[in-house]
Amino acid sequence: MIAEDLKISSLRYSYPGQKPILQDIGLVINSGEKVGLIGPNGAGKTTLFLLITGILKPSAGQITVFEKPVKPGAFNPQVGMIFQHTADQLISPSVHEDIAFGPQNMGLGEQEINKRVKEAATLAGIQHLLERPPHQLSAGEQRLVALCGILAMQPRLLIMDEPTSDLDIRYRRRLIGILSHMEDKTLLIASHDLEFILETCSRVILLESSAICADGSPAEVMGNKTLMEKHGLEVPHSLSVSWHKHRKTIKKPGH
Amino acid sequence: MHLPDGIITAPAIIGGYAAAAGITAFSMYKIKKQHINPRNIIPRAALLTAAFFAASLIHIPIPPVSVHLVLSGLMGVMLGWFSFPAIIVGLLLQAVMFQHGGLTTLGINACIMGVPAILAYYIFYIRKKSGQKKPLTHALLAFGASFIAVVLGALMAALLIIFATPAYLDAAAERNAVIALSIAHLPVAIIEGVFTAIVVLFLLKVKPALLECDGQ
Amino acid sequence: MIDKGYINKTAAQSILGRWEARLKLPGLMLLIFTFAFIRDLRLLPFLVLAAALTYSFSGLSLKHLIKRMRMPGFFLVAIALILPFWSGQTILWQLGPLALRLEGLLALLVITVKFFSILILVIALFGTTTLPQMAIALRAIRIPWLITDLLLFTYRYIYQLLSDLNRMRIAARLRGFRANSFNAIKPLAFITGTMLVSSHNQSERVFQAMTLRGYGNTKQPLPIFSPIPADFILLAVYILLSALLILFQFII
Repeated sequence: MIAEDLKISSLRYSYPGQKPILQDIGLVINSGEKVGLIGPNGAGKTTLFLLITGILKPSAGQITVFEKPVKPGAFNPQVGMIFQHTADQLISPSVHEDIAFGPQNMGLGEQEINKRVKEAATLAGIQHLLERPPHQLSAGEQRLVALCGILAMQPRLLIMDEPTSDLDIRYRRRLIGILSHMEDKTLLIASHDLEFILETCSRVILLESSAICADGSPAEVMGNKTLMEKHGLEVPHSLSVSWHKHRKTIKKPGH
Repeated sequence: MHLPDGIITAPAIIGGYAAAAGITAFSMYKIKKQHINPRNIIPRAALLTAAFFAASLIHIPIPPVSVHLVLSGLMGVMLGWFSFPAIIVGLLLQAVMFQHGGLTTLGINACIMGVPAILAYYIFYIRKKSGQKKPLTHALLAFGASFIAVVLGALMAALLIIFATPAYLDAAAERNAVIALSIAHLPVAIIEGVFTAIVVLFLLKVKPALLECDGQ
Repeated sequence: MIDKGYINKTAAQSILGRWEARLKLPGLMLLIFTFAFIRDLRLLPFLVLAAALTYSFSGLSLKHLIKRMRMPGFFLVAIALILPFWSGQTILWQLGPLALRLEGLLALLVITVKFFSILILVIALFGTTTLPQMAIALRAIRIPWLITDLLLFTYRYIYQLLSDLNRMRIAARLRGFRANSFNAIKPLAFITGTMLVSSHNQSERVFQAMTLRGYGNTKQPLPIFSPIPADFILLAVYILLSALLILFQFII
């Protein structure tokens, strides 16, 4: 039986004095799944992440991560989140110290910390930056440092909020490359970059006006022109092209 | 260390405002000497003032209690003569945003925080005079500057409470009270000193330009 | 408790809310300083009355006031614990070394009444005046541009920085950071340093954008001052009230 890494049932959340931003959300994500979360600005994607990580406390409903209920405020290194603005996350005077920050808080020994820092940096290909202050790096490099800071905690569930919003094509490709080597991790990625979701995810969830509107394979959800346009989104270019190709290849044998 | 409304006598209130006005005028004179167009550094001073304001809400835990930061030393070190107007603005914003009052004592509180800030600036300035560029020198001077700033601020506040409030104490009790209040602030001064030293080392590594407030 | 710097509609439409800020600020400040100068016990009821009346002109609710008065200041509590026992000669009540003294008790009464009366006036003033209005009023009473410009710019960024700080702390918490021992001082100093660096970087961009739109070229003129008679009448009332209180305190 496949383990349910994340299970959400009848989740509701509203910020004090406001209409609910999430209402009756139900969702199961299995171990190793790569899930993309799409939807317009203000749909509640970030709020959902803050609830899963226990930063916010649900107004109603349950969230279980690795089959244990989320304890609001408790530290769970198995869940890692990369913030939309890396500036929120990078606080140390050197890259090395910043990647070590999480492992240090986990109470690991010096040797283990250094090992993890090196492993994470090698995976992301940023070993040469370890002594630099993160604030002086490019946006792409900062994004990789933020990723390493989370990877060093060896989370099983990795959450990313808009990971490509400030990346150029080269760093975007690098990030896709790194994520494609994470077979053992469960990924949950929110993005407006639908092509990126297409390349990294095997399942897509569409969130709009506080509810889940669609849940399925990328081709099913993002290839559905009516659905996408109804929610103010566009079918990713490559999907519409491949869709045409796909149709042509189907037609040919019929000749 | 903020004196509230209602307890300070009239002459001290007027004196506090007069002193604050005088120091502000002198700060502006100094700022104009250091910068060709002082308006150019308004955005920088303002964003840093806002950052200091936010940082002053940080509490440093020393279980079982926690202390909140005064930051007068760090402000002096980073803003130089700009720290005095910045502190006035910070106090005004505190009065507006927290609405705990503090308008009548604004002049006095500005002096209690601002004079030590300027002193801290000059203590930290020693590094330039001596030409020392080592991180250790920076850290020690930052610690000293901030430590002295807190102690001086506490001393000023203590003296004001004794001599500018309607408390009728005898001379020995007054002296003891001043000493007690100053000693009570020693742990705070040490924490503030350590904090400032770490921030200065951080800036030295990440953005040394931020420690060159006089634009030289 | 942080105010969002937002004035509600009833407050804006109230007598105080419509009072031209360039006259309201001097008028109310005069009364606030007058309160600070009062020592005579017999005047205390008048302070409370004047403060209450002023507050009733503000259109602010009683709830608004009570919410802000809940935090009477650590200082006042400390003074309440010390003054009645240390200050004065007339002993009212004694228990071992503890002696309740009349002079101290009376001093505490004066301090408390003054503190709360001033607080009520301050809440009425800030509850009916926006910060930009305040800056104009400060400029009109010849507060240097350095202070007023700094005030407006700082105010512009303060909420952004507070939420930046909040997000940084959340991100640190998700990586296991807990501010529960003295060791937390290092990450907290790093967070502060990071905030200072990013504020500085942002200020460079802000400055460049402002320069491109002509900031610093000319002195910005004050908006036209067009008071109505009622503005002056209110000012006269507050001057008269302050004068009477001062007269009573220092002459009679």
